[in-house]
Amino acid sequence: MAEVRLVDIVKNYGAFTAVDHVSLTIADGEFVALVGPSGCGKTTSLNLVAGLIEQTAGDIFIGDRRVNGLDPKDRDIAMVFQNYALYPNKTVFKNLAFPLKMRKLPRADIDRKVRAAAKVLDIEHLLERRPRELSGGQQQRVALGRALVRDPRAFLMDEPLSNLDAKLRGQMRAELKRFHQDLHATVIYVTHDQLEAVTMADRMAVMNGGKLQQYDTPARVFSNPVNIFVAGFVGSPAMNLLYGLMEGANRVGRDGWAVELSAENAGRAARATGREVVLGARHSTIALHREHVAGAVPGRVYTVEPTGDVTFVHVRVAQTIVVVSVAPSVMLAIDDPVWLGFDQNKLHLFDGTTGDAL
Amino acid sequence: MSVSTAAREPNVFARIVRHRADYLYIAPALGVMLLVIGYPIYDTIYLSFFNTPPSLAMADKIFVGTDNYVRILTSEAFLDVTINTLIWTAFSTFFAFALGLGAALALDRQFVGRGLLRGILLIPYVISAVAAAYIWRWLYHSDFGVIGALAVASGITDRPINFLDNVDTSLPSLIVVNVWKEFSFAMIMMLAGLQTVPEQLHRAAQVDGAGVFQRFWHITMPHLKGVTLVTVLLLLVANLNSFTIPWIMTAGGPAGSSDIWITAIYQLAFERIRFGVASAYSVILFVVMMSMGYFYVRALTGKDEATPG
Repeated sequence: MAEVRLVDIVKNYGAFTAVDHVSLTIADGEFVALVGPSGCGKTTSLNLVAGLIEQTAGDIFIGDRRVNGLDPKDRDIAMVFQNYALYPNKTVFKNLAFPLKMRKLPRADIDRKVRAAAKVLDIEHLLERRPRELSGGQQQRVALGRALVRDPRAFLMDEPLSNLDAKLRGQMRAELKRFHQDLHATVIYVTHDQLEAVTMADRMAVMNGGKLQQYDTPARVFSNPVNIFVAGFVGSPAMNLLYGLMEGANRVGRDGWAVELSAENAGRAARATGREVVLGARHSTIALHREHVAGAVPGRVYTVEPTGDVTFVHVRVAQTIVVVSVAPSVMLAIDDPVWLGFDQNKLHLFDGTTGDAL
Repeated sequence: MSVSTAAREPNVFARIVRHRADYLYIAPALGVMLLVIGYPIYDTIYLSFFNTPPSLAMADKIFVGTDNYVRILTSEAFLDVTINTLIWTAFSTFFAFALGLGAALALDRQFVGRGLLRGILLIPYVISAVAAAYIWRWLYHSDFGVIGALAVASGITDRPINFLDNVDTSLPSLIVVNVWKEFSFAMIMMLAGLQTVPEQLHRAAQVDGAGVFQRFWHITMPHLKGVTLVTVLLLLVANLNSFTIPWIMTAGGPAGSSDIWITAIYQLAFERIRFGVASAYSVILFVVMMSMGYFYVRALTGKDEATPG
């Protein structure tokens, strides 16, 4: 296994910039998730590392070797694709053997390695079957096996779980994490599902519009999002964002709502470049009151979503919907008047003009 | 498939009665089919057992049993025509397919002028066979032909080559025209097949270390198996049935050197007015074609049935 390093990578398609000056170091044995919405440049970045496309500018290192311009086969990486990309006319055994055969390994070595990989993934009994005779989960393991047999320097995974149903996806998430820990593998994992990134990755790289937004541990990305985009992307339900204007030194409000800021938060808000300040609050940090409480923001219940463990209450505050979590025992009806209390210590503040955290 | 159907429902007529409304709906179509396909087949088979001398009226035809068949199958001319037909079919099919696949592979990539080239390569397919045959007859012409003139001008020969009036070159010359006409069709089919090869498979193989030829062999070719089978079968059937190009260009001549089954049948029936023998000839060809049709249908539908349960 090896470290993978992207240095100031740019990829242009004509006038369109798919990857915009991205620098990223994935440590040896680290599991890094590239996450972002469709078209954010995450898959393009992965394909650049694989060598399936060539960057416009910048350098890519795998281990201490600069791999610019090298063919995928010479980069010594393995890839797992979204729809598995198993060779449909070959048996599972031959699918696993293919990368070894292409490297002209002796037959006995191929046989040994394929069986070893099949054992790790518990697919030994499937070796003589063809891909179309396998379930989605089994195909996924075979795809993983084909990546595994070669002992590559890094695993590149492109949304490998998105074709599975929800239950199997949860199961495979756990298995992938285990697989990574057992092998101490360097993994670059592309996903649009922030939950996969948060649950599996050592570090996650959040991308948007071809630019790297934040690269940190899931816990820190969750607790300290660097800008409005990251705040809104990571976490489910997403962070509530209230777009307001400074009204005096320690008050933010707009269209019938206002929040008094603590002295510390007022100090942060003062750093904003303009009057526009965005308040960010996770659902669990907002208190829901049924009577007026000093400093609380009034709203009306828009809808109620019980999930079993916790009930999400969508509250309409002026033009915005704020999601608050409450205990399942709390009974609320649509259009009930409620008051929301924000925890000043857990309030996020963003510069409304630049979008950056304050 | 018929076996399993029979096992499920022993009485076919009971089935028909139960689905009588359904059968009623398709009755008009079935009637027309029987009329335009069933009746001619029946009549041809019926006629094949009769001698129909040109001097007699059709009503006075003479029943001769299987004489027509015996006479055809034992005649030397039939052997010659059959050999010609096999040469014609085998070479036309092979080269049309090979050229078509090559052209499809060339077009299945991005390059400047791809659309234009594809348009040009489609011309042989869209041009009428009659027009093509006449054009090529002039190209081949022993006195005024462009090909002959070019051969002389470039010093390959000192006299124009006599392509069509020579027993050694007539059939190969026709095959060239046929390949030119048919490779377009193979190209379209294979191009359609190529476009269904999943891009991710190629990427996976690239990462796995496969080069261009290995990817062609391990990814593209297996994926094209079905469309190849269908294309080759369609070409085989079309070539066994060829008429327009050979008839217009040489009419089987000279001295029967380019005579193939259909031109021979046409001559027997409409030039020598021997409907009985021509019918018997047609029935033999019909049997050959139907067996090919059987394989064609199996190739089209067999894939699912072959899947182990």
